[in-house]
Amino acid sequence: MEAGAGGEKAVSDDAARLAELLARTALADRAAFEALYAATRAKLFAVSLRIVRERPLAEEALQDSFVSIWNRASGYAPAKSAPLTWMTAIVRNRSLDIVRRSREEPDIDDTLAANLADEAPTPDRAVQARVAHHTLRDCLEELEAEQRQSIALAFFHGLTHSELAAHLRRPLGTVKTHVRRGLIRLRECLERAGELGGS
Amino acid sequence: MRKLSADLAHALAAEYVLGTLRGRARDRFEAIVRADPQVAGIVHRWESGLTPLAERVAPVEPPARVWDRISERVGTTPGATEFRVSLGFWRSFGLLAGGVASVLLAAFLYLSGGAREQPMMFVAVLTAPDAAPRMVVSMHSPGMLRARMVKPWTNAEGKSLELWAIPEEGAPRSLGLVENRMGDTMMPMPPGDPRMQGAKQLAISMEPAGGSPTKRPTGPVVCSGAIAPVRLKA
Repeated sequence: MEAGAGGEKAVSDDAARLAELLARTALADRAAFEALYAATRAKLFAVSLRIVRERPLAEEALQDSFVSIWNRASGYAPAKSAPLTWMTAIVRNRSLDIVRRSREEPDIDDTLAANLADEAPTPDRAVQARVAHHTLRDCLEELEAEQRQSIALAFFHGLTHSELAAHLRRPLGTVKTHVRRGLIRLRECLERAGELGGS
Repeated sequence: MRKLSADLAHALAAEYVLGTLRGRARDRFEAIVRADPQVAGIVHRWESGLTPLAERVAPVEPPARVWDRISERVGTTPGATEFRVSLGFWRSFGLLAGGVASVLLAAFLYLSGGAREQPMMFVAVLTAPDAAPRMVVSMHSPGMLRARMVKPWTNAEGKSLELWAIPEEGAPRSLGLVENRMGDTMMPMPPGDPRMQGAKQLAISMEPAGGSPTKRPTGPVVCSGAIAPVRLKA
């Protein structure tokens, strides 16, 4: 399913283009910033939407994130992370902050269970041919089903421990253990694969 | 603040990136991350490891109003509205081949705030003959120069990029080689280094592999810019 050499080149060209747009954004180039937004807005909006689940909140997260990107672009170090990964982390953090602020009672329903089916890998030529994603998926496959499910729900949808417990109908302590042990096994697997850069 | 063990740091960092670390625990952990570069490094590795998974999502178009709001908010940076700094603006004045525009751009970067890790001591935006910015060279603390590539060169097989400090009078002085790829080249520059004394401009020349065989540039100058000293904020 992963693209071959051609796909790899396409991905690194995309990443190079985004890195250049980020560098020019750091120089206060508004046209480059607008091009950066155009190239990434749909993906980043979708990332936020999965966490905050309401469009107005996702709009707020996207807005706040891009203002942050504008202000912090000169702090982006290309050697340290891929441009889209750097931007995605900003959007995730902002979305988690917003959803913490606004979410009162857990609002779990069956659409979440249906969404989990989306987590199965889909062919997506445009963005990820990186070997790292193979490795992460492989490592997730090594987890027990309940560990993987808890981690996926927490990561993609921003569920808290309490919400996980409600959704999965398990005790809170059990859910916390699943997440904790799942992450330990994930860490071991990723370190073996050299994906966490060693201890 | 007690020092976290590696295992605990990893456990907290993973749950932080995952999103399950919440409330006061999350706030406390963020404070630890700000204070401890090692823990920050572990968080960073988890972000690099997990975040790409989040990118595997079907895109959803946001409404146009989001961009309008972003535009409004970044447009109100102090000083920015007067300068209207977009490079297109400067280019239309034909000024962006170095000189005045570079200095003004550097001044804007200083005034705009929020775009730096530490106060800058000088900055130079090196532009190509077509007025495109190619590198930004800056000094953030005495002892280290940072050369940051904006746009690498594509026809540089078997060549090296060499950075020169150009004084008002006298020969250019080599500051060393810069890597031809996106990212930063850090160049030690001890305080009082004679190469920077009296330097007014920086320039990059395309040299044979390994740099100029003489003490002067032998190849074409591919970009240059004026050095703008920046007063440290009080």
